[in-house]
Amino acid sequence: MSRKGFIRMFINGLIYILGETFKGLYRNRWMCITSTGVVVVTLLMLGLFMLVNFNVTHITETVKDQVEIIVYIDENADRETREELRQKLAEHREVATINYVSSEEHMNRLKRQLGGMLEGYDTSLENPLLATYEITTVEPEAVVSLSDEFRDYPGVSDVFYGQGYVENLFTVTRVVQIIGLALMAGLSITAVFLISHTIKLTVMMRKREITIMKYVGATNWFIRWPFILEGLLMGFVGALVPLAIIYYIYEMAISWVVANELMFLSLLPSQWVITELAKYLVPLGTALGILGSSFSMGRFLRV
Amino acid sequence: MVDAKNLSMKYDKGKSLALENVSFSIDRGEFAFFVGSSGAGKSSLMKLIIREEKPHSGTLRVFGRDVSRLPKHRLPYLRRNIGMVFQDFRLMEERTVYDNVAFAMTVIGSSRREIRRRVPHVLGLVGLKDKARAKITDLSGGEQQRVGLARAIANRPAMIIADEPTGNLDPGTALDIMNLLRSINLRGTTVLVATHNREIVDRFKKRVLYLENGRLVGDEQKGIYSHVH
Repeated sequence: MSRKGFIRMFINGLIYILGETFKGLYRNRWMCITSTGVVVVTLLMLGLFMLVNFNVTHITETVKDQVEIIVYIDENADRETREELRQKLAEHREVATINYVSSEEHMNRLKRQLGGMLEGYDTSLENPLLATYEITTVEPEAVVSLSDEFRDYPGVSDVFYGQGYVENLFTVTRVVQIIGLALMAGLSITAVFLISHTIKLTVMMRKREITIMKYVGATNWFIRWPFILEGLLMGFVGALVPLAIIYYIYEMAISWVVANELMFLSLLPSQWVITELAKYLVPLGTALGILGSSFSMGRFLRV
Repeated sequence: MVDAKNLSMKYDKGKSLALENVSFSIDRGEFAFFVGSSGAGKSSLMKLIIREEKPHSGTLRVFGRDVSRLPKHRLPYLRRNIGMVFQDFRLMEERTVYDNVAFAMTVIGSSRREIRRRVPHVLGLVGLKDKARAKITDLSGGEQQRVGLARAIANRPAMIIADEPTGNLDPGTALDIMNLLRSINLRGTTVLVATHNREIVDRFKKRVLYLENGRLVGDEQKGIYSHVH
């Protein structure tokens, strides 16, 4: 075939494939709407779950970040020991921040916390509160082992990190994360299964068309392309719609949290959440659309 | 044009024999009937010619090429030279007459200008020029088979294979379709018809190849169904 002939055939083929894609979508609109609907519902479920999971992880991480070690400085430690202790703590590679709180500052904090209850208490008397270093760690999970380590440092009277509560918090967050991952994996598999089967059904409805194409001498790729593009469009639209719905729902949730002054629920910004979800859902929907249609065509192409 | 030597074919992973040691040769421009009762092997033979199936043994050359050795990606090009006509018409019912015929041309990459010129012409040849915009479901059985014929000749194939083309039609309509096939043959196209319609075969007095239980038991020029039998 001449070069001109090939180009002409290529352009005709391209026009045909694009035309057939949209004609196919229109002709089989109810089936396509159903397939896209299944993609929307499945990805919406997956997306909503991911949204919850993102936020639960975020909230638990925020709580974990607030976990700190309080190192009580021995009241008998001299200036030099205190300075050595500060230096040793500050240079430790697991320590993220270190903050010195004098015994006077502790007293002031206590007064602020207890309000008028300390009225009449003579603060000029000896202050029983010890000066402390408030330490945050690079890895919140390291507080337990670090506390044990710091306890043996010279000049340390005691170490506190919320014994009991912290261990429980870490267990809960770990369980939440594992359950979250397991559910996400389960939902993803369900999505893959549901979407590919629905698209397979759409292709099966057009078995006759594919068989005729084979008899009149269409190449497999010529038959495949419109179906693949249809699958791609169904998957793409099927992923965009849940993103829009989730965005709307999430904006409402944020407004509700703000209106009810539930600021302890530190939710992730919607822009970030939607971008993250789009990174998962759009490729997933599109890939499933393409794979679903191309795999399900396989046996009809063997005519 | 079609050259079969000792063709054997099995279904069900070799359990049932569809064709056994069949040999024949069809020349360019010939009109031949393959006759025999249901299950005699007529359709199997047609399937082998378009390489829908592969022979178990023997060779089958179509247009000079051994079809069982044809690589998969060359199959569409073999089929573009063969127009297929089916008993159940195999049309796309939700599309118009014009679209069904144009479809065969589109899939092989014909230009839109060529399609616009050729489709009305072939519809004229089968007497359906006025029904171009009609939906397939609005046509009679005979008209639907005419659309099938128009589609088969749209790409100017060298050969037409018709598998029981009159099987679903009344005798008068069946005769019309056979006359159309004859006129296509007179224009130089080779026509192979698989049928068990005795009346049609006897009337046309063309070459008749008789199949029985997968074996070729008769081959007669200007034959009639009963003579060969």
